[in-house]
Amino acid sequence: MNTLDTVQSDMVTGDCTPTGQKPMKKVAFNITACCSLLVLFGFVHQAGATQVHAEPEGLWAHQIAHLFFLFSMGILIFWLREWKLVKETGWRLVQYSAFFFILWNIDAIVVHYLDERNDIYRTINAGTWHARVVFDQQADWLGFLYYIAKLDHLLCVPAILLLYAGLRQLFKQAQSIKPVDKSS
Amino acid sequence: MTLPLSPIWIVDLLGSSLMILLSFLCVQLAKKLKNHDPNNVIWTYLLWLCYALAGFAVSRSVGHIAKRILLTAGHNDIWNFLRPYSGAINTLMFVVVASITLFFERTWKIYQQILKDQRALQSAHGELIYLNRNLEDLVAARTQELALSERKYRRIFEVSRDVIMLVNGDAEIIDLNPAGFDLLGLSGLSEDGAGGIRLSDFFLKPRAWTCVEEALRAQGYISDTEVTLKRRNGTHFSALLSGTAEMGKDGKTGSVQFLIKDISSRKAMERQLLQADKLASIGQLAAGIAHEINNPLSMILGYTQLLLRSEKEGSQQHDDLKIIEKHTRNCKTIVGDLLSFARSTQTVQEFGHLHGAIDEVLSVVRHHFELDGTTIETQFDASVPRMILDEEKMKQVFMNLIMNAKQAIGKKGAIRIHTQYDRSSSRVIVQIADTGAGIPAAHLSRIFDPFFTTKPTGEGTGLGLSVSYGIVKDHGGEILVESEPGKGSTFTLILPVSSVEAEEESDNGRRDAVNYR
Repeated sequence: MNTLDTVQSDMVTGDCTPTGQKPMKKVAFNITACCSLLVLFGFVHQAGATQVHAEPEGLWAHQIAHLFFLFSMGILIFWLREWKLVKETGWRLVQYSAFFFILWNIDAIVVHYLDERNDIYRTINAGTWHARVVFDQQADWLGFLYYIAKLDHLLCVPAILLLYAGLRQLFKQAQSIKPVDKSS
Repeated sequence: MTLPLSPIWIVDLLGSSLMILLSFLCVQLAKKLKNHDPNNVIWTYLLWLCYALAGFAVSRSVGHIAKRILLTAGHNDIWNFLRPYSGAINTLMFVVVASITLFFERTWKIYQQILKDQRALQSAHGELIYLNRNLEDLVAARTQELALSERKYRRIFEVSRDVIMLVNGDAEIIDLNPAGFDLLGLSGLSEDGAGGIRLSDFFLKPRAWTCVEEALRAQGYISDTEVTLKRRNGTHFSALLSGTAEMGKDGKTGSVQFLIKDISSRKAMERQLLQADKLASIGQLAAGIAHEINNPLSMILGYTQLLLRSEKEGSQQHDDLKIIEKHTRNCKTIVGDLLSFARSTQTVQEFGHLHGAIDEVLSVVRHHFELDGTTIETQFDASVPRMILDEEKMKQVFMNLIMNAKQAIGKKGAIRIHTQYDRSSSRVIVQIADTGAGIPAAHLSRIFDPFFTTKPTGEGTGLGLSVSYGIVKDHGGEILVESEPGKGSTFTLILPVSSVEAEEESDNGRRDAVNYR
């Protein structure tokens, strides 16, 4: 329907003002958009506003993601305890799982931090099964911490195992309660 | 310190594999939960969380395994190519898992709300099923309850001695109980016939109805308001009016429930008490005056009679003294009457019969009355016993009442004398009714006052009814009057009979009464 049709039909209904204004607005918007694009691509030769994302940003994003993961698990524990859900075995296991994920995240953050430091260890025979790490004598304990922290699966595997156990318990519990029968 | 890297690699490979395996097992369990109860939003939430964790486990573990294999195999360049992708995806998966985890609070609240609604629905559903199954019984039980309640309140409405009335905003009677039909003189109408009749029409004074309306509008009720209502036949009576208005949605009076109590008997009683009180006061005054005047009158009469002895008959002085003697005697009679009214004279206490006293009076007046065309009807109750009374004084009472009746009738008419013995209250009731002119309402409260008379000067002293009142009171009785102007009057004497005299004399009385008839 063109503008004339719109106006005519609006005259029939006796209300021509609102629909009559819409095409005008559309035209104004189109003109503004065209001008903006012309200015952006036609007259500007160098785009200086784009930020460069160099290598450290990836690690920072990863570390922040770990923190976010940690925080969300903390919140989950808070609500599970707040609503007394931990009285049930299933949810209690889920709580333990969240706790292990928190520990794992802390562990991962530490490992990522130490990975970036080149002054605490050296790798000998890298790429072979006889590879070893040699810790700097001045930061021996830090090297040992790094070595232990590298075994992070000792935290994340129990975490997901506890989640599995919790779900299993919840499933058993759900099976003992009959779901609502729609037909009744 | 030097440590081997192999334990780290072994834990890494095994742990990564276990992570993938366990995360998939979690997804499988969460799916089972979801399938068990597809409508449970918590299971849906857990499934999504498990999906995210599986994604996280796969992205991380695959990266770790690939790294270990590629580095061991010496393909460092390939790993360096894959590393950013693996790390970025891994980071994203952290964020996804964390984001989904944060939705737990909201999801749980939604779940609780759903459970609450579900319980409410189940409860309503249960109630509906119960109602559906027991609807007929419930309706029957409720109908019975309502019928009982209706019957109870209908009974109160029907048997109430007071008027219960429901009127609409225009004062039209909507419902009226039988007492109302009787009291307002609508007995001839059916219940439906009261429709269209307005309560305001029964108010003697329209202003009174206006006041009632204003009070109802202002405060929504009126209580114990004394009004005078008129019956359909024109007679009126005093009533206590209480009412409560129910306001309509528009703020106007919707309907009003009225309770009307006939207090005419109570008012009559009050008037009677006032009258008795007034007459007692007048009696005391009259007795005082009469005693004071009686002695000087006796002196005047005595000296006049002494002087008469010394005067010749026919002389001027003799005639003058005769006039003094006559008027002094008149005065003494009046004083005597006043003393009778004030009940200061001696009353003879002897057995007598009222029927004998009435018959003696009638024997004196009957002939004279019949000549004038006035008939006398008597209806004596044979069970009226002999009583202790002053027969002479009672004759005076009957003479006064019968003569008054004759004067009220004029020439033609009827006098009806009726006696009745009320054994339950041990009282004898004597009614003397005439078909005369009746007594105007304004005079009714004054007829027993001494010297009140409507007769022309010289024809009556106005002491007849006062004296009668005094004598009846002296006998422990009461004298009442009912009168309707134009239709006649009825004087009712109520005299007590003591239980002893009633028992001792009942047989004799019955015999005597038969003789009197």
